Amino acid sequence: MSQPISVQNLRAWYGNQLTLKGIDMELPASQVTAIIGPSGCGKSTFIRCLNRMHETVPGARVEGDVHLGTEDLYKGDPVDVRRMIGMVFQKPNPFPTLSIFDNIALGLRLGGMRNRGQLREAVERSLQMAALWGEVKDRLSEPATSLSGGQQQRLCIARAIAVQPEVLLMDEPASALDPVSTLRVEELVEQLKDTYTIVIVTHNMQQAARVADETAFFLNGELVEFADTTTIFTNPGDKRTEDYITGRFG
Amino acid sequence: MRKVSSGTKTADTVFHVATGIAASSPVVLLLAIAAVVVVQSIPSIRLMGWHFITGIEWNVGDTYGALMHKNGVTAAAGASFGALPFIVGTLASSVIALLIAIPVALFTALILAYRLRGWVQWILSILVELLAGIPSVVIGLWGMVVLAPFVAHGLGPALTHVGVVIPYLRGPVGTGMGLLTSGIVLAVMVVPIITATTRDLLQQVPVLYREGGIGLGMTTWEVVRYIAVPYIREGFIGAVALGWGRAMGETMAVLMVSGNAINFLPHNLYSPISSMAAVIASQLDSAMSDGSGMAVHALSELALVLLVLTLFTNLLARLLVSRVHHRRRGVRA
Repeated sequence: MSQPISVQNLRAWYGNQLTLKGIDMELPASQVTAIIGPSGCGKSTFIRCLNRMHETVPGARVEGDVHLGTEDLYKGDPVDVRRMIGMVFQKPNPFPTLSIFDNIALGLRLGGMRNRGQLREAVERSLQMAALWGEVKDRLSEPATSLSGGQQQRLCIARAIAVQPEVLLMDEPASALDPVSTLRVEELVEQLKDTYTIVIVTHNMQQAARVADETAFFLNGELVEFADTTTIFTNPGDKRTEDYITGRFG
Repeated sequence: MRKVSSGTKTADTVFHVATGIAASSPVVLLLAIAAVVVVQSIPSIRLMGWHFITGIEWNVGDTYGALMHKNGVTAAAGASFGALPFIVGTLASSVIALLIAIPVALFTALILAYRLRGWVQWILSILVELLAGIPSVVIGLWGMVVLAPFVAHGLGPALTHVGVVIPYLRGPVGTGMGLLTSGIVLAVMVVPIITATTRDLLQQVPVLYREGGIGLGMTTWEVVRYIAVPYIREGFIGAVALGWGRAMGETMAVLMVSGNAINFLPHNLYSPISSMAAVIASQLDSAMSDGSGMAVHALSELALVLLVLTLFTNLLARLLVSRVHHRRRGVRA
């Protein structure tokens, strides 16, 4: 069962620079929430705070509350948080020294799955869900870097969902991909949202309109507007949102 | 058309000639050194044949007595040059050095590359480079005055207790001058070399790949173990080979703590040894007094064996380090 994420007064710094200026948001469970906004508005920083990736950058700092369901994510070990909240990055980053199979199996093995049969099943299931199984089932032992960029990104999605997280964060997952691969990733998001709470950062407004149930518009480290996607794109409540989605800036 | 002044053209010619000479000098020097060592070795190779690397008796013979003629060359009567103890001494002490240095260097490099930030990282990095710059004779002195007594009275006896389980650690410990002390002294000299190279390699691992692991909920150690170290593996092996070459060629520090064994193979971890490099340095003076010249030829052949071994490890190192750079370019990221 996926759970909602609630964010209260979230502030984040890089060194002395305040990049998130107090965000309050309730991200609903089993929905796709898109985060849009111009470059440098803090949208990537925001989702990197949700799985405590932000603090891994030297000099970075976070304040505020993030809860997954009733669980306070900023109490306890960040490693546990990241096992519950999977992430897909801007550029495909499969583990370059591992095979396609091992890219997915590694997370499972570290999670304690030892049985070979179980591993094979779980790898196949994840690749099926990521719509990659048909393309790679005969070459599972080849290096992950032998795949195309789009395939690599779907492998990364498979890797993230293999460990059965509750939330999937996607930081501009299609920005380095060609249009066909982008479409496949978007279809995938559509299919995965029944199982996971998905938060997707995108600079592509059409993409947000296509995949998201809810959309949040960020500007200069602040949340300007957060509503269901149709409202944001057809009847925004804030002048700045309207200016951005109609292409007057950004 | 305006002509370029002849002064400019002369300067250009001088530039071409000067850079040509400078650029070709490494090749010329290497070939010249190799040629001298090979030519000087030939009489010894003819005298001893394969026994040079299988024999254990090193005896310049009676340099004031009669000459001996054998295999078409002349040597002092009773001369025999079996270098196996020195070859074994070089290999054993350098391998012990690597066994100690590899884990120390790897963990130091990991800390320098990933754990420390800012001025602490800067100061520790500088210290590692400084350690690499300490003259070997100073480390040798430390080895004689501090390390050898410690091995004789502290570390050695402690290890012999473990020797009940692991036979290689059995005594007797002896004076402290020997194989183990040589290995530790060499480790001190090799650690900074491996550390500096490995740190640079680790810093080349793209953040994107490490974040892939972190984002999957891997611990710092798991990211290092499954992502960073495999990524730099060939380069790390290259760094180790670089350190190995250094350890095999090291002369002074080993000469000071090895115990200068001659005519016997090391019989345990604490046994006195001699390395090829140390023997060349310590024996050359007396070899000069051999009227037949054979003792010098034998030392040259020792130098040849050493040169081949170090060149081989260095070549291997270069090859492996460059393969990491090639892979970096090959990766889509």
